[in-house]
Amino acid sequence: MRRVLSVLVTAVVVLGLAMTGWAAESTLEKINRTGVFTIGTRTASPPFGYINKQNDHVGFSIDLAKLVHKNIEKKLNKSVTFELKESQPATRIPLLTSMAVDLIAGTMTDTRPRRDSVDFSLTFFVTGAQFLVKEGSPIRGIQDIGGKRVGAQQGSTNERIIRERVPQAQLVVFPDQAAAFTALVQGRVDTYTNDGIQLAGLKVKAPNPAEWKIVGNFYSYEPYGMAMRKNDSDFRAVVNNALMEAIEGGEYFNLYDKWFGPKGELPYPMTDDVKSFLMYQVVPK
Amino acid sequence: MPLTGFLGMQYNFQWSVLWTGGHGEWLIQGIVTTLRLSALAWILASLLGILAGALRTVPFRPLRAVATCYVEFFRNVPLLVWFFFWYFGAPQMLPRAAQDWLNAHGPEFWSAVVGLSVYHGARMSEVIRAGIQSIPKTLLEASVATGLSVGQAYRLIIIPVALRLIIPPATNESLNLLKNSSLALTIGVAELTFMTRQIETYTAKAFEALTAGTLIYLALCLGISATMAQVERYFRIPGLIVRVGRAEH
Repeated sequence: MRRVLSVLVTAVVVLGLAMTGWAAESTLEKINRTGVFTIGTRTASPPFGYINKQNDHVGFSIDLAKLVHKNIEKKLNKSVTFELKESQPATRIPLLTSMAVDLIAGTMTDTRPRRDSVDFSLTFFVTGAQFLVKEGSPIRGIQDIGGKRVGAQQGSTNERIIRERVPQAQLVVFPDQAAAFTALVQGRVDTYTNDGIQLAGLKVKAPNPAEWKIVGNFYSYEPYGMAMRKNDSDFRAVVNNALMEAIEGGEYFNLYDKWFGPKGELPYPMTDDVKSFLMYQVVPK
Repeated sequence: MPLTGFLGMQYNFQWSVLWTGGHGEWLIQGIVTTLRLSALAWILASLLGILAGALRTVPFRPLRAVATCYVEFFRNVPLLVWFFFWYFGAPQMLPRAAQDWLNAHGPEFWSAVVGLSVYHGARMSEVIRAGIQSIPKTLLEASVATGLSVGQAYRLIIIPVALRLIIPPATNESLNLLKNSSLALTIGVAELTFMTRQIETYTAKAFEALTAGTLIYLALCLGISATMAQVERYFRIPGLIVRVGRAEH
């Protein structure tokens, strides 16, 4: 019995040491060793990350992550496989910390509490929360939702703001956007709130887009960033440099046009404010 | 507690997020909702299970067929699909006024109760059928010979004996039911798993929240097992069954 115990203890200690060894590995070292760069992204958030009609996993965030991928290959001076995994708001931080993915590139808002757990890249998209309602609904904005049944997505920042700012609203929180939108279509909730751009994505994909209206001023500020493991500044620099080069060299704006331009998946013109904000994030060479 | 390198994760544990900032209240609300949902569903599932389980053994084919249809239909479709059906689908068949009434009275919770009880009722009935069928045919014959009708024999003799026999598998089913109630978060029921995810949302501390959820479910389930073991001991019929050993708790 005692021998079995000592073997077990040794095994646990050795395993523990081995794991500490991995933990010390930086993201770039891990990618270099495995030859794979894995991102976590959305599968149902057009046009940031979604499965299109041809069954391809595509999107604006994925295209930007591909630029990061190119930059990693340049940095490591070897070719690296690019892999996509689905990440939900509730799973994206555990996916990162458990090393299952190297970068979250989806629709994640950069917030201060989240910065305690993960590091963020530059802001790559700016939006704010609004409401999606059926044509003819009395709801015109956050001032009208008291006592109404408001659908929201769990893990989103706007759910939290409603809870704090309009506690009389009856929040119904769903783990994913598809369920929340179905609840709105079936009349289980009176309105669905999320980032304006996501609502626009839902409206475009709805069977009858004219039936739906996006209402209200932005009641939150949602800067989207890519998230990575904390305290890995070399990797962060690779990610940020890829974004800066894309903004500086104009590739970012080509991609923006591809997805949000007049002929894009979801027309959403960029305001001048947002454009200067993006440009000012680029530090000099 | 900073613990770098644990299981290969670079992560700072901060357990206080579980009780500061009102998060403790969320957990308690979550536990209450989980228990309310599970208890209501358990009662309904037991009733449905006893009914369907008994009907599947009666010597009258049409009744057996109805019960078999119920069991096979409901237990062979994933519970998640049933939740979506009862929440998104079923209310559409009601008249508009009934739908409005339902929407004003927490349709998420009641859809989950119905979904969970109908699904687990089907599973529970199999446990009960097994209990009834493990009773020798002679007991039914002897009961009828004393002048009881078949219905009375079932109500007074067969089912009370069967219910005692099936306590261990029924405990299993009850634990499953409690744990399956966590799926109700997909239709917006703010139960325990939902609340642990909610804490994760607010604090970005996923491991602490998930650990809390794990331990609470474990404690609830151990509580149920212990209670059922007591029930088993209390209701046993001395001399009826040769016991190899009783459940240890």
